[in-house]
Amino acid sequence: MASERQIAANRRNARKSTGPRSGAGRKRASRNAYRHGLTLSIISTAASAKQLHKLVRKIAGNTDDAITLERAREIAQAELDLARVRRAKVALIERASAFGELDPPRLTVTQMIRLVNAFDRGRLIVPKPSGSPAAMPSQEPDRSAEAVRRVLPELRNLDRYERRAAAQRERAVRGLYGRRKSRDNL
Amino acid sequence: MRRTNKLTLLPKSPLLITETADEFEALRDAFEREIKPRGIIEQMYVHDICSIVWEILRLRRCKVVIINSAFRSALEDLLKQLLRQPGQSAYDVRDEAQDLAHAWFTDKGAKKLVSEILSQFNLDESAIEAEAIRKSFADLELLDRMLSSLESRRDKALGCVAEYRASLAHQLRESADRVIDGKGVLRLEDAASERSTAA
Repeated sequence: MASERQIAANRRNARKSTGPRSGAGRKRASRNAYRHGLTLSIISTAASAKQLHKLVRKIAGNTDDAITLERAREIAQAELDLARVRRAKVALIERASAFGELDPPRLTVTQMIRLVNAFDRGRLIVPKPSGSPAAMPSQEPDRSAEAVRRVLPELRNLDRYERRAAAQRERAVRGLYGRRKSRDNL
Repeated sequence: MRRTNKLTLLPKSPLLITETADEFEALRDAFEREIKPRGIIEQMYVHDICSIVWEILRLRRCKVVIINSAFRSALEDLLKQLLRQPGQSAYDVRDEAQDLAHAWFTDKGAKKLVSEILSQFNLDESAIEAEAIRKSFADLELLDRMLSSLESRRDKALGCVAEYRASLAHQLRESADRVIDGKGVLRLEDAASERSTAA
């Protein structure tokens, strides 16, 4: 456990570090917590904004009621979020089907040294990366199934985002018909 | 079937290269015939249910293939255990087991021989399947969890359609009652009295 003196020193040192100062540094640091972008709002991609607007109008109908419009926007956004997660799932499976894995194969230190040495001697060798995945089946449906098997952990993670988007949509739908009901009762 | 305007607004369901859009459309048409969605919200739920069911089917196919593709190594492991004589190690029978497991898929004689070996130990081909399942446990467990999650979401979405429809019906009933009771609508006698007051 740290002593009082150590804690005080840590605090003093921490005060000296105020994070990145340059524009580039700040920009880089702003993406520190970025992982996959699935929690980003769908309207952050300009192409989706138009689709979102159309869907909101279709859900809300001809109303200017701000709350109804907001509920409709929540529903539409959750719907597009769901579509985005589904696209990500399919893209991961397709990638695994094409390359056999998601992460590029890595060379060991020894292999890298051999590669550099061979290059220095004017030779080009193609080292076999360590932990290369087993060959993918060439026939369907085995190939797709193997691709799904290889990305199962990622699919499981994406499932969490999908469930969250679905839950958001349900809440918003309930909010929408609750709103319509209360307006009708006015 | 020609898609309605509402559906073109909804994002398209992404499919794998190996999946066909026609089959997906057929599945969606079947759900639409069954649920008969009215309005964009119900369309949205039907679209969701269809996408979930499609994914369930995809994962179920995958489950079968995972078990099938583990068959060869399962049979090989089983044969290594069964072919071993007292004092022999698995390594001693490795080649024989590998060859027999390989031939089992194409050669009727090899298949018969494997059945005979299995029956010596009161086993049958289900022992191979059991071993294949055992070897794929980690993947199958993950797949099952995903399938359960999808099935629960499908049921929830079906429940949502019913709930939304019931709520809408209730709302329409209340609106109809109000119209019948005359609340919020101008009655003819009211209009007449208003006209006379104005005069």
